[in-house]
Amino acid sequence: MNDPSSLPLTPKGKNNLQTNTNNAVKKIQSIQNSKFMKLLRPILGVVVSLYIVFRLYQVLVVQHEYGPDTWTRLLISGLIIGGVYALIAIGYTLVYGILFMINFAHGEVMMFGAYAGLYSFWAFKIIPVAGNPPTNFLNAYPILAIILAFLIGMTVSATLGYFLEKIAYRPLRKAPRLVPLISAIGASIFLQNAAMLLFSPQLRDVTNPEILRRGAGWTIVVNGSNVVLPYTGVFTFVLSILLLVGLYILVRKSKLGRAMRATALDKKTAALMGVDVDSTISRTFIISGALAGAAGVMWGLHNGLVYYFVGFIPGIKAFTAAVLGGIGNIPGAMVGGLVLGIVESMGPAALGIDFQLKDVLSFLILIFVLTFRPSGLLGEVLSEEKV
Amino acid sequence: MTNNIIQVQGVSKIFGGLTAVNNVNLDIAEGSIYSIIGPNGAGKTTLFNCISGFYVPDHGTVLFQGLVLNGRSTDTVASLGLSRTYQNIRLFSNLTAIENVLVGQQPRLKETWVESIIRTHRSKNEEKTSLEEGFKWLDFVGLSEFADSIAGDLPYGAQRRLEIARALGSKPSLLLLDEPTAGMNPQETLEMTALIRSLRDKFNITIILIEHDMHVVMGISDYISVLDFGNKIAEGKPEEIQHNESVIEAYLGPGGAALAQKYRRKKAS
Amino acid sequence: MKTLIRQSIRTGITFGIVQVFFILIAFNTMIGIMLAKVSGIKNPGEIPAPKFLIAYTILMGLWVGIAALSKKKSLPAGQKLVAGFTASLISAILVGLLEIGMTAILVNKIFIRDFLTVLSFDFIKATLFGLTPSMGILVTIGCILLGSLVGVGLNILSNLHAVQEHWKKDLAFIKNISEKVQYSIHGKYHLIWQIVGISLLAVAVILIPMKWGSYWNYVFGTVGLYVILGLGLNIIVGLSGQLVLGYIAFFAIGAYTMALLNAPEPHNLMWGFWPALLLGVVLSALSGLLLGLPIMRLRGDYLAIVTLGFGEIIRILLKSDVLTNFTGGPRGIQNIHGPSLFGKPFNSEVDFVYLIIAGVILASFVYNRLQQSRTGRAWLAIREDETVARASGVDTIKYKLLALAIGAAFAGLAGGIYASRNQFTGPDEHALMASINVLSLIIVGGMGNIPGTILGAFTLKGLPEILREFANFRLLAFGALLVFMMLSRPEGLIPSHRPKYSKPKETAADLQKKEVPHDK
Repeated sequence: MNDPSSLPLTPKGKNNLQTNTNNAVKKIQSIQNSKFMKLLRPILGVVVSLYIVFRLYQVLVVQHEYGPDTWTRLLISGLIIGGVYALIAIGYTLVYGILFMINFAHGEVMMFGAYAGLYSFWAFKIIPVAGNPPTNFLNAYPILAIILAFLIGMTVSATLGYFLEKIAYRPLRKAPRLVPLISAIGASIFLQNAAMLLFSPQLRDVTNPEILRRGAGWTIVVNGSNVVLPYTGVFTFVLSILLLVGLYILVRKSKLGRAMRATALDKKTAALMGVDVDSTISRTFIISGALAGAAGVMWGLHNGLVYYFVGFIPGIKAFTAAVLGGIGNIPGAMVGGLVLGIVESMGPAALGIDFQLKDVLSFLILIFVLTFRPSGLLGEVLSEEKV
Repeated sequence: MTNNIIQVQGVSKIFGGLTAVNNVNLDIAEGSIYSIIGPNGAGKTTLFNCISGFYVPDHGTVLFQGLVLNGRSTDTVASLGLSRTYQNIRLFSNLTAIENVLVGQQPRLKETWVESIIRTHRSKNEEKTSLEEGFKWLDFVGLSEFADSIAGDLPYGAQRRLEIARALGSKPSLLLLDEPTAGMNPQETLEMTALIRSLRDKFNITIILIEHDMHVVMGISDYISVLDFGNKIAEGKPEEIQHNESVIEAYLGPGGAALAQKYRRKKAS
Repeated sequence: MKTLIRQSIRTGITFGIVQVFFILIAFNTMIGIMLAKVSGIKNPGEIPAPKFLIAYTILMGLWVGIAALSKKKSLPAGQKLVAGFTASLISAILVGLLEIGMTAILVNKIFIRDFLTVLSFDFIKATLFGLTPSMGILVTIGCILLGSLVGVGLNILSNLHAVQEHWKKDLAFIKNISEKVQYSIHGKYHLIWQIVGISLLAVAVILIPMKWGSYWNYVFGTVGLYVILGLGLNIIVGLSGQLVLGYIAFFAIGAYTMALLNAPEPHNLMWGFWPALLLGVVLSALSGLLLGLPIMRLRGDYLAIVTLGFGEIIRILLKSDVLTNFTGGPRGIQNIHGPSLFGKPFNSEVDFVYLIIAGVILASFVYNRLQQSRTGRAWLAIREDETVARASGVDTIKYKLLALAIGAAFAGLAGGIYASRNQFTGPDEHALMASINVLSLIIVGGMGNIPGTILGAFTLKGLPEILREFANFRLLAFGALLVFMMLSRPEGLIPSHRPKYSKPKETAADLQKKEVPHDK
């Protein structure tokens, strides 16, 4: 500690105060600028909301282009796709809640589930069953076939999720946050291309069992016009809701759920309290993989096409849904998924925008929500950071 | 009247249902060393956060050199001449020691990014002087040989001192130190005490201190306030605090005052 | 011994699965074709001759053998033999099982290509080396065992005393030379060395593009553009620590500004290259600011997803029919003109390579200056701990916006040059994958430094262009490389070092000021 006398402060002087006060005056001017910044958000919000109301008024009242039948149709397709998004979003949210990382490869986990479902249905179609006339397994025991296909799809995805965590994420648990993210991106690219090489780059048609024929459905009459309630859609939606409720109960009530929540809050303490953190994380990946697998099989049943890129867009959408609902929050992911699905299908019509721009709409919603509620729709508002 | 550098007037901060700081008043004279003590959870750090702009008080105002600080962002507060350190050391741990100190000088520097690219005469000069000052501060806290070491790799005591050097970079007139001697051995504590005192004596920096080590507090403070459950229960010169019954009860629990008196009598006899 | 065998079994299973996977994606025939080409056969066809596949299998065995003994230097030779043998046997058995399955498919004439696309009958026959199934399986197992024994042998040999001594001598020799080189570079001659190095580099940079064909120049130019992009993203991610995933959107803005102003369709504005480039850079920077304003409060992953969304919005808008009249829609924009300088129009790849090199030098210069200044330190502080940076007086919002704007401007520069060079730009060039490529290249190269960015751009953009042979396997290898890099060397190929600062030398004027004696 030498020579403090030549230190750059004015020793014992009032100069110090003087410069600081000058500084202060300048700063106060800049604060007035930042007041403008603070006002910017509410003003922006009002402008955007007014515009939305205006568009809605234009489209719904003035132009009145679509009748209630169209709206019902759009709502139905929105709910169906929203259910699938919710299932995938749960995977993101569970993993994020525990590891604070974006499992970028989650969409690919779903894609492998979709392939497993597709191949199961194909295989069932090939397996002959004696009878008069001779038929195949798929049409002889359709319910069993569907259950089996879902089990296979979920198992494949769950296994994939398990190994994904073990190989690509576990060694990186203590690394800076960018590192596992890049690893996840790498895994995503790898899995996509592995699927392309293994299963060919072609689009594949899913063979649905007769009872879940695509396009068929109950017909309800709305406003004098027929609205089809597709079997596959109803099935998808109901199954998603069942799985989501099941998962919610699992996380809230079971021992594993408690372990998961404890691990999410504080890994070290959880480990001290006797929670096997590694296996809890593994199981989280298994569960989220299984849900993604189910979503994949549903995707195939309802949309009918499976290819190696099939998981990418739903994956990104589902992640958006998870953030929208408040990432790390399970009901948030469900709400986010459904909201996103509905916005996507009804939004363009309601605002009178081209349907091609539905993705633009969903991302804009995301930016909008995060700007005004950074923690998402149901997320906790983070308190001021502790220092 | 002495020149009060900072006035805390009726400040309260409430988290949910918990009143962490309740209607606290402080008047701190320029050039003094002022300690805030109190048992764990008494709201000392919360009060610090209210002063340094991390929290906006729910009631009351904080005046710094006559300017209201409430609601100012922390960077504004820093550039007004108020620096602080943290209870759990928060250095930029992947940067070198000297870089940490250079970052501390940010609010005083005028170089814009365009100047950084073109490297004008002024920016070169500024860079040179700030580097000189940075090294001098490192010298002052005794870390000059560690200038190019990564801050996160420094030993614990050195990290504490580096945090002070960083806080000094902005040439503050008020320095808030949050438990500067926590976790130090007696030798290091002595050095730290000397360092704090020389900051005031040589550069006329007013210092507010949160500290648990009573030797340090009683040794260097000009004035002490005691917080308990968010309330200020006593204030005064060190010797006044030492004999204040409510302070002793706050630390030792009810009946503690009587106990302490007995102990003191015994010691005297 | 027991744990050794257990470990070897595990290695064997892992490698067995990897080999099965390789066969199922027809990696074996691909390597076989490569080997055939190397040995001088011009047209090996889709399925190479059996001897090359045998060579491939032996190589795989060699790999298993070496891998089974990695990190087991000190074992006695006998145990090494056991470990290598066990591992290779297990993996050989797994491959054998696959081949039994394939035989079943072949014998029963099951058409399985719907499920696993490579398993044509020809392919299965080739994988069995054209022999009878049982012989083929035996040969496979034999080859893997043979390969692994060679691997184990090499390992044992390299650990022999005499060999090791030799190695050490060689190593010491190399070290000696490198030390001498280091000394001469950093020592008193370092200025000369720098001048020599820079002039050599300059000569190379000027001469090489002229000698190369246009394909190489194209590759080189692409790498250069990605260096500019990487440096820009490095400012945002590497210095200021904001994870931005939709970075390519700024590139798109630059490219489309160039295209719309400079191409005859759809608007026929026919601006010159330079003003269009400048406007593109400015617009990109502005869009960076605009995107930044509402999301400045978001941290980390939220920022990532919002910027990802922004990138997608830009791409979809460019692609949609709604804006076809304005942006050319899905077809993109053609016939973008090149620049001219002093009356000389740029019309060959070579000219553009020079332009790109100039761009790279400019970007590196700006990056370097910013990094070493107050601004750069403010960014680093924000990256390290935003709360504390703010409390230390760093205007975090200003600096974060600044980083976004400057990074975006770099992307705009690269985009403008890119569009002009290719004379075309379309929406699909600006997909999310491109953003991810840029992010990957700075991370693989080493975040936050210029040499790392250049190396990363060469590895991730240059190599795949060169390895056209691997066409289908390129992205697969890219994904695997990313994971592998993160697991083994997350700091990148060239890690960043903090700069050293020396005390500024005191000038005479300073000394005069310091006449006041010490008070010690």
